[in-house]
Order: sequence, then C-alpha cells, then structure tokens
Amino acid sequence: MPSQIVTLTLNGAERELIARPSMTLLTALRETFGLTGAKRGCAQGGCGSCTVLLDGRPVVSCLVPVVTVDGSSVETIEGQADGERLSDVQQAFVDGFATQCGFCTPGMIMSATALLDRNPDPTRQDVIEAICGNVCRCTGYEPIINAVLDAARRRRQAASDSEEREPAGAER
Amino acid sequence: MLISVEMPDSADAARTYLRDGALPLGGGTHLMPRLNDAAGTDVRLVSLRKAGLRGIQVQDGSVAIGAATTLADVEDDPRLPYLSPCVRSIASPPVRNLATVAGNLFVPQPYGDLAAALLALDAELDVLDADGVRGEPLERIAAGGLPAGELVTRIRFTAPEQGAFRFHKAARRHLNSGSIVTIAARIAVEDGVVAGVRLAVGGMARRLVRAVEAERVLLGEPLTPEVIARAAAADAFEPFDDAYASAWYRARVYPVHLRRALLGA
Repeated sequence: MPSQIVTLTLNGAERELIARPSMTLLTALRETFGLTGAKRGCAQGGCGSCTVLLDGRPVVSCLVPVVTVDGSSVETIEGQADGERLSDVQQAFVDGFATQCGFCTPGMIMSATALLDRNPDPTRQDVIEAICGNVCRCTGYEPIINAVLDAARRRRQAASDSEEREPAGAER
Repeated sequence: MLISVEMPDSADAARTYLRDGALPLGGGTHLMPRLNDAAGTDVRLVSLRKAGLRGIQVQDGSVAIGAATTLADVEDDPRLPYLSPCVRSIASPPVRNLATVAGNLFVPQPYGDLAAALLALDAELDVLDADGVRGEPLERIAAGGLPAGELVTRIRFTAPEQGAFRFHKAARRHLNSGSIVTIAARIAVEDGVVAGVRLAVGGMARRLVRAVEAERVLLGEPLTPEVIARAAAADAFEPFDDAYASAWYRARVYPVHLRRALLGA
C-alpha cells in the first residue's frame, strides 16, 4: 500500500505529512514534526509516556497508526505553553517539584490536562485514576497528584477571578 | 510489519477488505503492541474507526453498542451505570479512549473483562458475513471464535434489572492491571432464593467461560456463604500461570472472589 497524505490539526495549526501504513502517531510527531515531547517508552501502551490528546481525549500515541486519524485534532505538550507562559498544569508541576528525570512528564501533563478539561474539581481519587496509565519511576506519584490538584485549584481560582471582573450575563 | 491499513467508510466495505488474512483493527490496543514489538510477518489491517460502527442506543431496556464504540464511551454513558465499574477496571484512560467494545471480545485471557460482563448479560452479536447480518450469542463466539472474514458490527443485550448485575475483579493493583479472577453475574433473588443466575468467569481458563455448574448449584438456593462455597467447587476450571498470578493462586482465591461478587463481602 502506498504512502498517504495525512492532515492533522496539530496544536491548533493544520499540518500535513506523508505517512507509510506502519507509521504511528508517535513516530509522526517525533520524526516528521520534530515534536519530541511525547516519548517512546514501552511502545505497548503500558507506560503512558507517549500520551497526547486526540480530539481532546488522552491516548497512547504509540498504538495509533497515523493514517487512521487523518483529519483529527492532536495536542501535545509543545502546544501547552503560551509563548513563555506555561499552562496552569505545567506551572503547578514546576512549583510542586512534580518532575524529576522528566521522561514521564509530558504524558503525565497531557493526562492531567485532559482530566481538568472534563472535571475542574477532581478528587484525589479522580486524579489517581486519570494518571493510572502514566508510569513515573522517580517521584512516587505524590508530588504529581498534589500538583494536579493544585493546578485544579488555580484554574478554578482563575475562573472565579475572571467572573468577578466580568459577571456572567453582564452587558458588554 | 504493518504493510497496509484500509479505512473503509461502512461495515460492508470493511468486510470486503477482510480477506486473505487481513485483520480488523478496533482501537489497536491489543494488535499494535504486537506489531510494535517485533519484525514479524506482513500484516494488513482494516481500521473500523470510520466505518460508522461507533455509538450506543438504549431503548426500553434494550441496549445496542456499535462494535467500534470505545470503552471510554461506555464508561461515560449515564444510561449504562452498571458497566462503569467494569470498564474502569480495564487498563487506563489513554487506553480506554482507543480500545473498542468488540475488540475486548477477542483479547486473550486474562483480559476481556467487559466481555465477561457482556457474557453474563447474555449478549448477542450482530455478525456480518457475505450473506448479510446474523445474530450470534456471544457465548458461542467466546467458545469457538469468529470465522475469518466475518465482522462483529454490534453487541446487543437487555439491561439488567436494578441491582441484578454484579462485577468483581481481583487484580494486583486497584487500577490498570490484568485480572487474576474476574466474575460477572446477572442474578435474581426472589423469596430469599436464587430465581435466575448467569455467571461469567475470567482468569480461570484460557478462554472466557460460563460457570454453568455453579449456576446449577445456586439456582433455588438462598445466597449464603455455604451455598456459594459449594458453587465455587462445582466447575472444573483449568486456570493458567501468567505474570499476574499462578494457576494455583487463581484456583485458591476463586471461591473468595465468587463470594465477594455475590455477597459483597
């Protein structure tokens, strides 16, 4: 089967690549687009270090033939910061020393971001369940769980601050 | 090596591609690890991602789940709360967002926990072959497999009555672990005795099995620890060793987990 042209909305920008049938989404990100944040860990879907958001949901990109997701939206760790300004989850990881060697961090942050996008007020158990597919061999997980809960607090605080500035339903 | 991935836009088109050994690809969470793992023989896949087989219908207690519906879709559906504990016991969110319901029917033991639940619910499969769609009990496919070139398009079952469905999985960790023993049951207790029961067991044989002898013991009896202990001894299972548990351990703890599944303690 010949290679195919695949179109992705990658971190908000439309991008094209030529893909062989065997090319995974992870390989496309790392080798075609140079986005090396998502890591190749086990290549079995077991470690979560390749986690990215596919149409808004976290997936292990090592198990996805990229030709099957033509037309989809993909978000990676590289799309999280706004210039020099880190995302709330990234900043909470930095502030909470939630990263040591850093190999799991991009996948961990994408799983955490997906959780907070769906559930702005997660319990500790919700966080544990959300990152249960992301293996970290350094931290013992506690700083990561705390950082995700901290990011959730920050995000709720930011939402209520902006609501105070612009009350819902106010005429503008 | 993966040499082709077809992307049919309908179930009929998907089936026509399933010839000469081409395999259907659901979420890829079972097939792709094997393809990533080794330089094996050439493999051709037919992706069901865009074949229109994703979606859940619930009407008057009848549930129909499209073959390519993801485990996450099932987990999130407020109409299927009884399946949520089962689905949440399977792998992790980034895997459940890919893995499909029909795919779960064909993974080897000790995986396939949703298949155990669906077997307990006496699910029927819509199977597409060259002559069209026919119904097949999941029980028959779980025992004998699906002939090459045929495609499961839908899974149908009747929703269990309130409180009638039980799911219990023993694993090495609370989350993201293969099963040591999985028990799924649909059970009706009337006037203090078991009026109907269907029991599916994972981890206790190379294939997903129904505990028919245990069902026979339970029927007409009160649901007591003594009766359940007798039921647990009734079937001659042949469990297996793997990285999660030994065959000996599985056989040893099965009675405990059957009791926990049926009595909650």
